[in-house]
Amino acid sequence: MFVSEPLRRRSGRILAGFAAIALTVGLAATPAQAEPTPAPENSAVLRIATNGFIDSFNPFTSFYLLPTNTFRYMYENLVANSAENAEVTEGLATTWETDDEGLVWTYKIRPGMTWSDDEPLTAKDVSWTYNQMMAKEEMAVANGSLVENFDKVEAPDDATVVITLKQPQANNPGQEIPVVPEHVWSKINKPGKFKNDENTVGSGPFQLQSYEANKSVTLKANPNFWRGAPNIGEIQYRYYTNPDAQVQAIRSGEVDFITGLSPEQFKAIENADGVETNVGNGRRFNSISINSGLADKNNNEFGNGSEALKDVKVRQAIRAGIDLTTLREQVMQDYAQPATSFIPAVYKKWALPADDPVVSGFDVEKAKSLLDEAGWKAGSDGIREKNGKKLELRFLTDSDDTVQQTTGKFLKPWMKDIGIALKTEASDSDTVSERTTKGDYDMYFSGWSINPDPDYQLGINTCGARPDADGNGGTTQDGYCNPEFDKLYNQQHVELDDKARVDLVHQALALHYQDAPSISLWYPNQLEAYRSDRFTGFTKQPTDGGIIANQVGYWGYSTVEPASAKDSSQDGGVGVGVWIGIGIAVIIVGGVAYFLINRRNRSDDRE
Amino acid sequence: MSSSIQNLPTSSGSPDQGGTEPKTDIGEPPKGGSAVSYFLRKLGGALTSMILVVVLGFFAFRMLPGDPVLKIAKERPMSPAQIAELRSQYGLDKPVIVQFWDYLVGLFTGDLGQSYVYRKPVSALIVEYLGPTLLLTATAAVIAIALGLWLGQLAAWRRNSLFDKLASGTSLVFWSVPTFWLGLILLMIFGGTLQWLPTGGMITPGLEPWSLAAVIDVIKHLILPVVTLVAVVYAQFLMIMRASLLEEMSEDYLTTARAKGLTEDEVRTKHAVPNALLPTVTVVFLHIGGLIAGAVTVEAVFSWPGLGKLTFEAISGPDLPLLQGTFVVFSAIIIVMNLAADIIYRWLDPRVRRA
Repeated sequence: MFVSEPLRRRSGRILAGFAAIALTVGLAATPAQAEPTPAPENSAVLRIATNGFIDSFNPFTSFYLLPTNTFRYMYENLVANSAENAEVTEGLATTWETDDEGLVWTYKIRPGMTWSDDEPLTAKDVSWTYNQMMAKEEMAVANGSLVENFDKVEAPDDATVVITLKQPQANNPGQEIPVVPEHVWSKINKPGKFKNDENTVGSGPFQLQSYEANKSVTLKANPNFWRGAPNIGEIQYRYYTNPDAQVQAIRSGEVDFITGLSPEQFKAIENADGVETNVGNGRRFNSISINSGLADKNNNEFGNGSEALKDVKVRQAIRAGIDLTTLREQVMQDYAQPATSFIPAVYKKWALPADDPVVSGFDVEKAKSLLDEAGWKAGSDGIREKNGKKLELRFLTDSDDTVQQTTGKFLKPWMKDIGIALKTEASDSDTVSERTTKGDYDMYFSGWSINPDPDYQLGINTCGARPDADGNGGTTQDGYCNPEFDKLYNQQHVELDDKARVDLVHQALALHYQDAPSISLWYPNQLEAYRSDRFTGFTKQPTDGGIIANQVGYWGYSTVEPASAKDSSQDGGVGVGVWIGIGIAVIIVGGVAYFLINRRNRSDDRE
Repeated sequence: MSSSIQNLPTSSGSPDQGGTEPKTDIGEPPKGGSAVSYFLRKLGGALTSMILVVVLGFFAFRMLPGDPVLKIAKERPMSPAQIAELRSQYGLDKPVIVQFWDYLVGLFTGDLGQSYVYRKPVSALIVEYLGPTLLLTATAAVIAIALGLWLGQLAAWRRNSLFDKLASGTSLVFWSVPTFWLGLILLMIFGGTLQWLPTGGMITPGLEPWSLAAVIDVIKHLILPVVTLVAVVYAQFLMIMRASLLEEMSEDYLTTARAKGLTEDEVRTKHAVPNALLPTVTVVFLHIGGLIAGAVTVEAVFSWPGLGKLTFEAISGPDLPLLQGTFVVFSAIIIVMNLAADIIYRWLDPRVRRA
């Protein structure tokens, strides 16, 4: 084909092709946000950028972040967590009570509620859902741990649910389990394989209308939501693989909300027109996890952690030698709250207060004297020694994570100041996770997202959370084991008096602080931005300074309403100047093409 | 590279030279031999490569650090029972050799296994994501090849002119620029700032498929990724074309052509270029396979819902069956393209065919 065709004609055609491309660019210049705006009320679409992974929208099997967040909007739980402070508040149940020891929980269901398909929603749906999860393994994949302590669940009438537990617990068992309609799910043949990805029936403020893999997720307002129908018509998640592309998308107005920005990205759009930003106090903590002598459930030690770290004084010295304030300000660019423990400050009630007597600050002298007490004496090169061994520690970091890399850079000189040689070992996250599982580390950078009740996180700091002899089954946070702590954990686990339980939790956290199996660094902020020229009324959790996305609940987008459509200039898209520019470009390209082709024709004529 | 391919057998006097391998280039077809045996030999080579890919695809990814189940369970409230259930669902509780056997049996029945995270057959996923990747790479390939060859022959003909220096220089600059960076810069200028073009994806959600509006919308979404991909790859086509044509330019037959009174343009297009295209086309085919693999980065920048994105996700999983599947498919495409290059080369060159 190439050979037979005279190239001259082809080159002319290629030029014509360029002209066509130029025209297409002109065509493309119709504003990217030319989709139907300004929206009439109740049909407005809130577009959210995401790169969240989706396997399915089955609330029994999917545990990825985006589906889980979506379930919170699709299915009301028995009890919800408030926007104000994430504490337990009414959901499907209006009131609840427990027997004296916290073994039998009785819930009263709000009468007259309906599913999004207008069928009545009763206590029977709740008990059916819970019983499915208790009876079938395929239904327990995502949330099995939440019903593990359930002995039986019954609905004696349409307005009452009774949960009988195996062991008493103080934490309300009706949280975080999506309740599905029995009349829909009981007809599904293999509910564990059900994708649940279109026209869902639920009780929350939004229902999943359609899902196109790696393109979009569309949620539709549910007029039957018991708190009242939302003020917008749809939420649409749009796929952006790359966070930098998300920033460009909100600048151009192709999406209305983005979250999870880096400080650099955040600063880049802080002053953009029509965009408002939110520095949300998040529910995550970051810490330096310390290998304080890993062992399995039978106390058989494993791993190759430094012997020095088994001494609590060395661990405390490391904490005293770290300037947490400087670290937070420099590494996180101040987009984080100071931390005391693994319970974030947004859970004000539970978090260890900063003025607790155990909480101590940056103190190099104290660090040095602690190491002296532990028997580590300064050597000739400034590195401490004991029994001829130098105090050398490894710090594992994820090489892709700037925050971890920078933390390592700050830690190294600080540790040297107190006589510890710190070696940063950066590798890919898979290697880090493999090495930490095997115990092949001294310290590593860690972090968790925490739910409103501290019970789970306290639980994975007990001796029982350590792996078994085969290395299986452990979800321990740092490999920590202290019978004192376990005792406090067990007491708070069943303490029904709220004040007394808070006190026990604080005691446990204080003990953990002193034992220092990990050093909490900060609670990172969640950096978010939205098109304030299109939408207002986002609800934060906690309402005072909290986050909009990734809440424990459905508050963030449920109260959103379209901004008054007064300022329509934003919808005008590309300005006149740009159009003129495109016009000129097309004329120039066309002209050049014409000239070139003609010149050739003329030279042909001359032949 | 092109110069060694240039050293073609000018005639093939001896029909069968047996097993003596010519010492020149791997891309060179053997002298003589029937078309069938040539074809069979190439096919055998391709099959051997494919078998190696299949075996490597299984074991290489299992040597990677990281336990898929622990990765999934990381930082999540999961009980040991839940973790064990996942492990058995994925078949990871079986011995590796049994897993390998299952994988082999599956391959021969067209079953690439079940993705851990999507909970869908890998083959279905690949078919689903292949379309967008083909659209992107085919468009980019056609434009890059046309642009590269056209500029390449002009540059060679006006060797060392300002045009040659500009065209070659520009193409090499783009060739050296990191794809990711170029994509983001284009995205920032034309997406974020000028807002002429969409910032990501393939189609605006909610449009009727195959309507005029949808087609225009896809074209709009296609422009930036294609421009990026073309910019970073067209240099190789330009350089090959330029080098091939330069070799031809000193040949005697061009002098003859000029002596006949043909214009320079005619000498170039009717005599020099067709001969220069011969080695070029072969190399072009070799590069098309690479282009598809190269789309991975571009897809990641422009949120293009293709195989590249799927692979990217599979790696971060690590979703072993999906990773194996995409690996086998990518490798197969490249092997098939190489085979096609071998065959086309023979078909194009009458001197080789005549034997």
